[in-house]
Amino acid sequence: MNDPGISAAEEGSIERRDILKLVGGSALAVALAGCTELVGDDDDATTTSDNGDIPDEPIEAGLQTFREGAPAVLGLQAEYGAETAVRRINANGGVAGRQIELDIVEEGTEQLENYQQFVEEGKEVTFGPISSGGHEAMVPEIDDQGVVNVATDGTVTTLYEEDYPDTTYSFRFQNHDVMEALSAAIEAVEILGADNIETYAGVNPNYAFGEDEMAIFRAGIEQLTDAEEVYNGTPDLGAPDMSTHVTNINSEEPDVVFTSCWGGDATLLLSQGQANNMLDNTELVVGPVLYGSANDYEEGDLEGPIYSGSRNFYWDQPSTDQWSPAADLFDEVQDEYGVIPTAHFMSGYGAVTAWATAADKAVRLLGRWPEQEEIAMILEEHGFYTPAGYHVMSTDHQGYSNAHFGEIVWSDEVGGAVLEDVNVYAPEEVSPPPGMTSLDWIGSW
Amino acid sequence: MSRFLVERDGKTHFRPMKGLELTAGQVVLTLLGIVALFAVPDITSATALSFSIIHQGILFGLAAVGLNLLLRHTELVSFGHAAFFGAGAYGVAVLSSHYEVSSGFLLLLGAIAVATVLALVIGYLVAGYLDIYFALLTLAFNQVLFAFVLQSGYFNYNDGLSVRVGGDRPSLLGIDQWLVATLGTDPITAYNYTLYYLTVVILLVMLVVTWKIVNSPFGRALDAIGQDRTRAQFIGIPVDRYVWIAFTLSGIYGGIAGGLFALLQLHVRPEPVLFVFVSGEILFMAILGGIGTLVGPIIGGIVLIYLLRLARFYVEYYHALTGIVLLLVVFVLPKGMLGTLPEISAGLDRRRQDPTLLRDDVTTIGASIRERLYRAVSTVRIIIFGVK
Repeated sequence: MNDPGISAAEEGSIERRDILKLVGGSALAVALAGCTELVGDDDDATTTSDNGDIPDEPIEAGLQTFREGAPAVLGLQAEYGAETAVRRINANGGVAGRQIELDIVEEGTEQLENYQQFVEEGKEVTFGPISSGGHEAMVPEIDDQGVVNVATDGTVTTLYEEDYPDTTYSFRFQNHDVMEALSAAIEAVEILGADNIETYAGVNPNYAFGEDEMAIFRAGIEQLTDAEEVYNGTPDLGAPDMSTHVTNINSEEPDVVFTSCWGGDATLLLSQGQANNMLDNTELVVGPVLYGSANDYEEGDLEGPIYSGSRNFYWDQPSTDQWSPAADLFDEVQDEYGVIPTAHFMSGYGAVTAWATAADKAVRLLGRWPEQEEIAMILEEHGFYTPAGYHVMSTDHQGYSNAHFGEIVWSDEVGGAVLEDVNVYAPEEVSPPPGMTSLDWIGSW
Repeated sequence: MSRFLVERDGKTHFRPMKGLELTAGQVVLTLLGIVALFAVPDITSATALSFSIIHQGILFGLAAVGLNLLLRHTELVSFGHAAFFGAGAYGVAVLSSHYEVSSGFLLLLGAIAVATVLALVIGYLVAGYLDIYFALLTLAFNQVLFAFVLQSGYFNYNDGLSVRVGGDRPSLLGIDQWLVATLGTDPITAYNYTLYYLTVVILLVMLVVTWKIVNSPFGRALDAIGQDRTRAQFIGIPVDRYVWIAFTLSGIYGGIAGGLFALLQLHVRPEPVLFVFVSGEILFMAILGGIGTLVGPIIGGIVLIYLLRLARFYVEYYHALTGIVLLLVVFVLPKGMLGTLPEISAGLDRRRQDPTLLRDDVTTIGASIRERLYRAVSTVRIIIFGVK
């Protein structure tokens, strides 16, 4: 029977002493066996004081992104975006006076390990990854470690809808896949009219992202029209040849071709398509990620009815002429990096901005530097601006902002691809309400 | 003399089991190694070393120990051992995500079963081949498996599968829950440390098993096969069957390591566990640590995982770093980090006794550099001007 005079804590300490005796009699013995952490530490309690102090030291932040190989087409844009946001924040006095120091690392296939290493290094916040599979692997680890991560992309639709609907510390800045695939379907109907779309085809990369995009486009276009799928090509990532798919499309002559190919796959599909007159055999090509290769296209690749989206941003879409941080962005990015900023630039820019504005808000509310949990709480339903407009980090931890879709054309003035005749889709038009899965929502139209 | 102590060559040897006799120095080294393994959590918390990376290194090293069984004794080079590591990892992931198995013990048994079946099938198909054909066949099977998993919805494509059932970690024989309930240990710490100590126990058991295998008649037969297949056949060794058995055993090591890796990472994706480059890394680990040694592959595993996982945080051209290390091993430590240690130690001893040898070393190094430079210049001359 327990002695009523001994508190539960004291009981615990007595038990612990007994166990120490069992394992060797002293803490040293336990330490030598490498078990110190197992027996806990009474001094583990949080040491953060509530005295209102803001730490003097810089904020150590980590970004993982693709810096090499084919995915670097997207990853370097995210890196430039994150660096630009950090540069601007630091130039304006930092977050509550604290400068941000950003370490950047190649994400490769080790997204989980990179996050763990960042945490071991004592990072206060981490950003990235680009990869959706890597992001999926990270989410439960992020909740275990309790260090906020704002993913730049990793936009697989099911992640926060089905797999991890109750995450605490894991967020994603960029609009998720359903928004761009549905934008493409709605845009096709806007351009051609529902009655004029009888057939459609898909050419999508042969992995989870490509499969998801096609599934959502298929569901969307079949709800909006009576169209029938006539071809579905699934080239491998980094495929050396797209001619089979071009030939099949030429043979089927679908009204709409949907492709979520990106990077070198997008340029190859378009250049081989142009060489084999694919654009003469279809009414419209809609490619939600074609913008990602904006800096790699040649003028000849873009001849014909090719429409591209952007998750939330493409140079001058939305218009950047009313607000100096947006108006100055293109020149700043051109001077610094010599590239056209795309939606993936905004992935990096927005992820940093989401966290920094939330942390700043938390400091103003609390009068002290916030705990991770408090920043996570503030980030939910947090609204903020970037040059891509207004964004909201929803309660489901997904970022929402307007999606854009327009004709992708060559601009001599910019020296690259730009969007014209852009339609803007509000988040509620192209994504389900919180608590509902995308395919269920599309099915309910 | 007790049954654990024997006299041999005028020295007392410790004999923990039949056939295994260790000198006093070897006993000390073995004990130090075991203590170091068990103290890793505290060593890493007191230093800048990474606990998680060392744990991962040990797991890949365990797969390399298995590969080394084949490499060292049958002298067959497998370029496809990630197949078994990945099979073990996916065995765990499939059982937990599709069948909601939450017992770590059952998950590990599943990993072993899947890897064993796969190794039996692949081993049967490759056992009769030699040299480059054997290597390429193993590579091909690895690649087929990788492509199959990558393109299959059942394995969730490249997004992979979670090892958590309902968001919870698997149970590790109830030990982790006991630690939480009894000692008040943080659940994540309890899980990670329990898994680590289970890994250490499994590693030690597997090392003893390996030692027993290589010192058994079966191990000697494998040596004979490695030295000359035809002669081994002539003396009555059923070569293909023995290679098949060795290949299967070797795959089981990979399966156990992969299963534990899945339990550690709690999410399995194709690239980190099944891609053919991972096979190359496992092979490199065995060479790096020393294929002539029992525990060399473990050291190689830890070192290479450190290089692969952490070099990117410090060096921009981190891919080159692994290449440079490989070059150094080939040129300077041809028997691997652990395998070359006795030679280095004997050389140092000789130089302590006779310092004039150092002068010879300088002369030898100078001559070697001159010779290599001459060869390089000759090669460049031939490339530019042709042979005259």
